[in-house]
Amino acid sequence: MEQRYVISVLIADRVGILSAITAAVTDLGANIVGISQTVEQGYFTVIMIVAFAQPVGPEAIRHAILNRFDQDEASVLVRPFQAQRQAPGTGDRYVLTMAGRDRPGILKALTGYLAGKKINIEDLFFRIVGDKVTHVGEVTVPAQLDLKQTQDELRAVMAPFALVVNLQHENLFRATNEVGAIRHLLRQTNHA
Amino acid sequence: MHRTNDILDTVRMLQQENLDLRTVTLGINLLDCAGRSMAAVTKAVRATVAAKAGNLIRICDQLTTKYGLAIINKRIAVSPASQLLEGHTPKAALELAQALDEAASEVGVDLIGGFTALVHKGMTPGERLLIESLPQVLSRTKRLCASVNIGTTKAGMNVDAILLVSETILKIAEATRHEHGFGCAKLVVFANAAEDNPFMAGAFLGPGEPDCVINIGVSGPGVVKRAIERLVEQNPACTLDEIAEEIKHTAFRVTRTGELIGREVAEKLGVRFGVLDLSLAPTPRVGDSVGEIYQAMGVKVLGAPGTTAAVALLNDAVKKGGAFASSAVGGLSGAFLPVMEDHALAQAVAEGTLTLEKLEAMTAVCSVGLDMILVPGDIDRATLSGIIMDEAAIGIYGNKTAAVRIIPAIGHKAGERIDFGGLFGSGTVMSVKRASGNAEFVRRGGHIPAPIQSLGN
Repeated sequence: MEQRYVISVLIADRVGILSAITAAVTDLGANIVGISQTVEQGYFTVIMIVAFAQPVGPEAIRHAILNRFDQDEASVLVRPFQAQRQAPGTGDRYVLTMAGRDRPGILKALTGYLAGKKINIEDLFFRIVGDKVTHVGEVTVPAQLDLKQTQDELRAVMAPFALVVNLQHENLFRATNEVGAIRHLLRQTNHA
Repeated sequence: MHRTNDILDTVRMLQQENLDLRTVTLGINLLDCAGRSMAAVTKAVRATVAAKAGNLIRICDQLTTKYGLAIINKRIAVSPASQLLEGHTPKAALELAQALDEAASEVGVDLIGGFTALVHKGMTPGERLLIESLPQVLSRTKRLCASVNIGTTKAGMNVDAILLVSETILKIAEATRHEHGFGCAKLVVFANAAEDNPFMAGAFLGPGEPDCVINIGVSGPGVVKRAIERLVEQNPACTLDEIAEEIKHTAFRVTRTGELIGREVAEKLGVRFGVLDLSLAPTPRVGDSVGEIYQAMGVKVLGAPGTTAAVALLNDAVKKGGAFASSAVGGLSGAFLPVMEDHALAQAVAEGTLTLEKLEAMTAVCSVGLDMILVPGDIDRATLSGIIMDEAAIGIYGNKTAAVRIIPAIGHKAGERIDFGGLFGSGTVMSVKRASGNAEFVRRGGHIPAPIQSLGN
């Protein structure tokens, strides 16, 4: 029976990291079925889902990866994959943008509000230039929420930080940055 | 997952560069309201407009919230009202106009177009009645807009109709002299009028259109201007073909926002989606000007030699970008030159660099025509007719839409400034050179035959 694991690796970035990790799991007999990798301020992180046809233990996977790096160079976490027991609420995807002066507490206030409203954060990024910060997030807004009320509440929560806050449906960004027909885009989100 | 820079580019277009949707225009067929009793006609007109457009504002507001994209104007364009006036009296024409005006007010739209007569080949009694009613109608209604089509490439130019319309324009100016002739700003004289144009004052639901349809007018002069400015900042030696390419890409993005909103409005209203009009429509705001685009290209003095080439470059690049973005492009789709509604054009007129003659040349390579032009109030009918005929000739022989929206400012002379306020803007009364030298030609009337290119079959 197929065994699936979720693997997370944190390491100072350099050339060849992903090659070493994928070689380690592939040589153990894994098929990589999902991967997301990013580099933030010189630190490489990857999360990947792997599937084994034959039984392999999590410690064996962890050691196979660590053996590809110098001692203490990488942090590796391996856990059995579990299907989501509580799926995030269904709804449309929105893009959240916030811009202004960077101050402590912005993310705590933001994520606290979103969690309270059952708004799932699927991607979050921010960039600091000087003392200015720009946050960009992709979130799923539950269908039962009143959008206007949610936008107003979000702006009120973030008002102490004097940020310009926007919550806009992702189709706007797909429309302006993709080349596919608009009618197809709308069909994908059940609007047409 | 979206690229962060793509997201921020889109947000910047909305927040800093005045990208918005200029108009969502609902076309409504009113032909089934026709009847011998004007009381019954107006009752049916009100009921039809209320039934078809009752949810328009609410739906547009919902989508503004959803996308964070402002929809500036929500409007209605009805089928030509002259078709409801056959067999009726002047009193009935005013009753119909007031019913349309009130119906627009009841559903919350700011303008309703379609008090229209299509007389390019001839004129029915109802069409004559509509034209002759315009001084009273446009001075006694607030939201109603009118248009008259006096020529087409297929039919030629109806000079008799132009003479009647010119006389009517002077009467409208007189009837609204307390507003500096503002009534004339609500009348467009067309050649090759577009049946699906969503922009006022010339919007109407033309022959061949669906019973009810959403047409969209996009905007974005500010976005195009900033795109060119960024290009020039990065590469001061950039060539005109590089500028054209930048405009094309920008027009693509602007157009797609329009189609996104248009299709959703149509779907929520349960009506057909019609077309996207690509026209870059300015407003009097700084940063929302078509004139500023030419300045960003390098034509610092609008009206200087080269301005017409700049208009052509912009118009063509916008069409190419828009045509790739959407297969539903229609309407007028080009660059507008509404002098009073564009602060840079208005300033160039005030400074004397942009003249009526130069504007006429520019209209040969863009979508509309002499738009929102103030002329001295003592202009005579022959001169006014000549201006309309010249512009109509550009449209008819160039196989494109051409229009004249001209305002004789009663009591004002060339060089004087007039302010209409709001989106209609302000401007300077332009001088009309060599006026009164055309009377013998114009007064012959009749019909200028269709050009040879009409025989295309």
